[in-house]
Amino acid sequence: MSSNLQYRSPYTVVDALPPGYSRRPAGEPERATITFTIDGQEIQAPEGIMVVDAAKYGGVEIPVFCYEPKLGAPVGACRMCLVEIEGIPKLQTACSTPVRDGMVVVTKSERVVEAQNGVVEFILLNHPLDCPVCDKGGECPLQDISYGWGGGESRMVEPKRHFEKPVALSDAIAIDRERCILCYRCVRFSQEVSEDYQLVLLDRGAGAHVGTFDGTQYIAPFSGNIVELCPVGALTSRAYRFRARPWDVEQGGSVCTLCPAQCNVSYTVRDEQVMRTLSRENAGVDDGWLCDKGRFAYEAWESDARITTPLVRQGDKLMPARWEVALTAAANILKKSGPRTAALAGGATTNEEGWLLRRLMLDGLGSPHFDSRRGGEFDFDVARTLANPALAATMPDVEWADALLVLDCEPVDDMPVLDLRIRKGVRRNGVKLAIASARPSSLDAGATRVARIAPGGAEAFTQALLAALGDGGDVETLCENAGADAAEVRAIADLLAGAKRPVIVWSERLAVTGRGAAPLRAICNLADRLGIAAKDGAGLLEVPLSANARGLREIGLLPTAAPGLMHCDNPGLDATGIAAACGEEISALVLMNTDPLSDYDDPTAWSAALAKAGAVISFSTWMDAATARHADVVFPAEVGPEKDGTVTHPDGRIQRLRQTVERAGEVNAGWWVLNELGRRVGVDLGVKVANQATAQIANHVGIYAGVTTAELGGDGVRWQERDAAANLPRPARTTFDLTPPPAAPSSDGYLRLGVFRSLWSGGEVVNAATLATLAAAPRRVELSPVDGERLGLTSGDAVTVKTGDGEMSAVVALRDAVPAGFAFVSADLRLDEGDEAAVATLGRALASTEERSAEVTK
Amino acid sequence: MSDPRPNRYQLGPDVVEVQRAPEPGVGRSFYRAFRETLRGLKTTLGRFAEGTVTIQYPEEKTPVYPRFRGRHKLHKFEAEIDGTAGLEKCVGCSLCAAACPADCIRVVAADNDPENPTSAGERYAAVYEINLARCIFCGYCELACPFDAITLGHDYELSDYNRSDLIFTKDMLLDEPAERTPLRREGE
Repeated sequence: MSSNLQYRSPYTVVDALPPGYSRRPAGEPERATITFTIDGQEIQAPEGIMVVDAAKYGGVEIPVFCYEPKLGAPVGACRMCLVEIEGIPKLQTACSTPVRDGMVVVTKSERVVEAQNGVVEFILLNHPLDCPVCDKGGECPLQDISYGWGGGESRMVEPKRHFEKPVALSDAIAIDRERCILCYRCVRFSQEVSEDYQLVLLDRGAGAHVGTFDGTQYIAPFSGNIVELCPVGALTSRAYRFRARPWDVEQGGSVCTLCPAQCNVSYTVRDEQVMRTLSRENAGVDDGWLCDKGRFAYEAWESDARITTPLVRQGDKLMPARWEVALTAAANILKKSGPRTAALAGGATTNEEGWLLRRLMLDGLGSPHFDSRRGGEFDFDVARTLANPALAATMPDVEWADALLVLDCEPVDDMPVLDLRIRKGVRRNGVKLAIASARPSSLDAGATRVARIAPGGAEAFTQALLAALGDGGDVETLCENAGADAAEVRAIADLLAGAKRPVIVWSERLAVTGRGAAPLRAICNLADRLGIAAKDGAGLLEVPLSANARGLREIGLLPTAAPGLMHCDNPGLDATGIAAACGEEISALVLMNTDPLSDYDDPTAWSAALAKAGAVISFSTWMDAATARHADVVFPAEVGPEKDGTVTHPDGRIQRLRQTVERAGEVNAGWWVLNELGRRVGVDLGVKVANQATAQIANHVGIYAGVTTAELGGDGVRWQERDAAANLPRPARTTFDLTPPPAAPSSDGYLRLGVFRSLWSGGEVVNAATLATLAAAPRRVELSPVDGERLGLTSGDAVTVKTGDGEMSAVVALRDAVPAGFAFVSADLRLDEGDEAAVATLGRALASTEERSAEVTK
Repeated sequence: MSDPRPNRYQLGPDVVEVQRAPEPGVGRSFYRAFRETLRGLKTTLGRFAEGTVTIQYPEEKTPVYPRFRGRHKLHKFEAEIDGTAGLEKCVGCSLCAAACPADCIRVVAADNDPENPTSAGERYAAVYEINLARCIFCGYCELACPFDAITLGHDYELSDYNRSDLIFTKDMLLDEPAERTPLRREGE
């Protein structure tokens, strides 16, 4: 096992483009190349970058503590980067001085060295030097810089300042205020990157320290990043605390598959165990950030809750079995069921597993019934139009757009790192952000335009937008159907029409509203209307509902399409169809990394379907509801660092997963299990190592033709930028006739019910000690203060939410941003809690566009 | 003077004539045969009078020099300063493991329980193992230790029947060796 990280020296610039960029984003301004002199050598560098960065072009290292380009504009707080610049009498901070043509910089003169020694001595005045105990020891910039640029001696004889240590900043992070050198990195992250505004610098002078304003815990979706940012050991991860030293461990790069963001990660491995997860910067994907779910999920992977042996049902119980027994049992089920078998794949499934599952079903069993989507009509022309490389926005395009529409999507829950990217664009690049969502979004504060729509009104909103852009239709009526304000819709239309690089971020939820492909047709028309195909840097970005949804769709794990979105002669049943046909046309079900009872919107239908399905084979990491109640054979599924294979990012980047630790317990690779099952049902899938499955994909999926893991490397490659993208079939048409959308469902005099899914759900959250408190939060119903007053409710009240014939208990949270007349319920569809009524209610609310009223009583 | 031998027997100028000593007598022959033996025996007989110097290992042990580098020892605080007596000096910082050229030290640290601390710091070594089969007794670990928690002792009796028994755990390293190795006295 070795690291697949390409070594990127922090002190030399190999390429002018950041890792993961294949080209400069269209919106990013070009920089002229200038020549300047540093330590006597003439160097060329882009104009206007900071001297610290420009120095790297000449291999000159200038030490820094507070400077971190990811955090935005420099602050010059630590004074470590002082250099001499000809013509300026005083020493200058290299981190905040832009380089100019003809500038002469000296970094090694006597004055500079004296200043550097002085700054190190000054920083160390109050630093406790408890390096042997400190978790940062061995990977600490302060240690490195003290050795490299420090004078080696301190004249300080007075006692150092003392704080109580260590103090818990949250369940995830411990803070040691003595060690803090007040570089502001964490505060800047909280204030300017994640914009949760929780961390501040308290007190003044020698007593200054970092904390939250009112002393509460620092709980934010991206809080873990400050541990990685801290240049000393002041902020440490409580989960990683004291578990290893840098020389005890190895780093293994891979990709997180917990959500569509597919952040590049680096697992710290000791004794075949993941000790922590670090970000692995890829500007084309994650910009170097991670969410807390991805960062702390590894705790869950080593918890006892994980399934690590094959299980076979004996009577009522799932009993551990040997692989041979489990494989034979599963093969018998498959052979018996044959073409009446159906399969569903969830987001954690790699392209390879999806491909082999497809082949097992088609070639082995002759069954075309498999799906990776959540159902809904699949329209070839729409799918091919939306896959058109000219319409695809990359992640950097989101940041450099001049107008960005976020349509019915809450990035912080659906694709967390996208949230940070949008904030960055708004804050630093002046992106004009328009939001159209039912529930108040966390991005509202930075948005230029916010259109509140009724839950389920996204399609009507899109059509209203089209009407406002002059595409026919009556804006007023459509806005009424969408529950949106017509003036706001017109303003958003003007914003998009006037933009050179409009980007639209929309959620796959639009495809499963019960209106078939109609909402997607409206999006295609919108792209056409805005002329996105012809505009460089403009595009559409779909936020899928599961991590590898795009990859599974493109390799052909669809009942209605062949690999590469090609025509398919013998279509099968989609997910909705499978649910309906269970027990009749379908007699066995294969669930790969998915629990239909919590992942799909209609748990009532799925509960009935699973009960009727003759036999269920589940590949699962956790004992989820479907597995526990209905599975006859359970194969333990691999988790992130155990996987080999490829996944596809929502913007089309094919990324490689690499195995970094031994599989836990008796877990076997997904491709191996599928290959063995194939052998037992009489088809040779021909996979003896994971790469062979990748090679099959490269041979059979047109748009992925010829792709190899070597080509993907550590940063991945967007398939739209490869020659094989020409293999994408052309759609017969790119604009469509639209059907008028239904009116937004009436509230019947009660509150309008909206449902949202939080980031903090799933086995990885429930079983990770650090995240468990977040997962254990009770179901929440968000109300506006107006309704709160009317109903006599305040935050924290336990209430009953009635909708249709169902009801559920929840805790009230009053939010100023919630419009009056709405109630938003967090839909964590977990059946293991025993409140099936609530889950069924939520499921119906999610699945239908009609049932949208809620009565909230104490 | 004429040579009586014919010319062909005339020896050239390069021929060396060997001159032999007269045959020795009996007494001298004996002396020649046993001279060296007797000289050796003189030393033997001389030492014989000094007495035995053989050390009856393992009943007796060779004393070692004070700076002899033998089996490692982990230390606890002995003096009662700030209530640290009895606490382990090792905080599990792993610097010894980093310094070790033979890669024979394994440290797994853990969070100290403030109520019932194991070491005097925030962390302690939950696992501290030295593979003495691999150790080259260079003493770098002692040099690297910021707390003087590990030193190389004088114990050199490290043979065993099983290689895995030579992996010394923290408890073994904290214990005094069963029999102490004698130390060489000053000037000895």
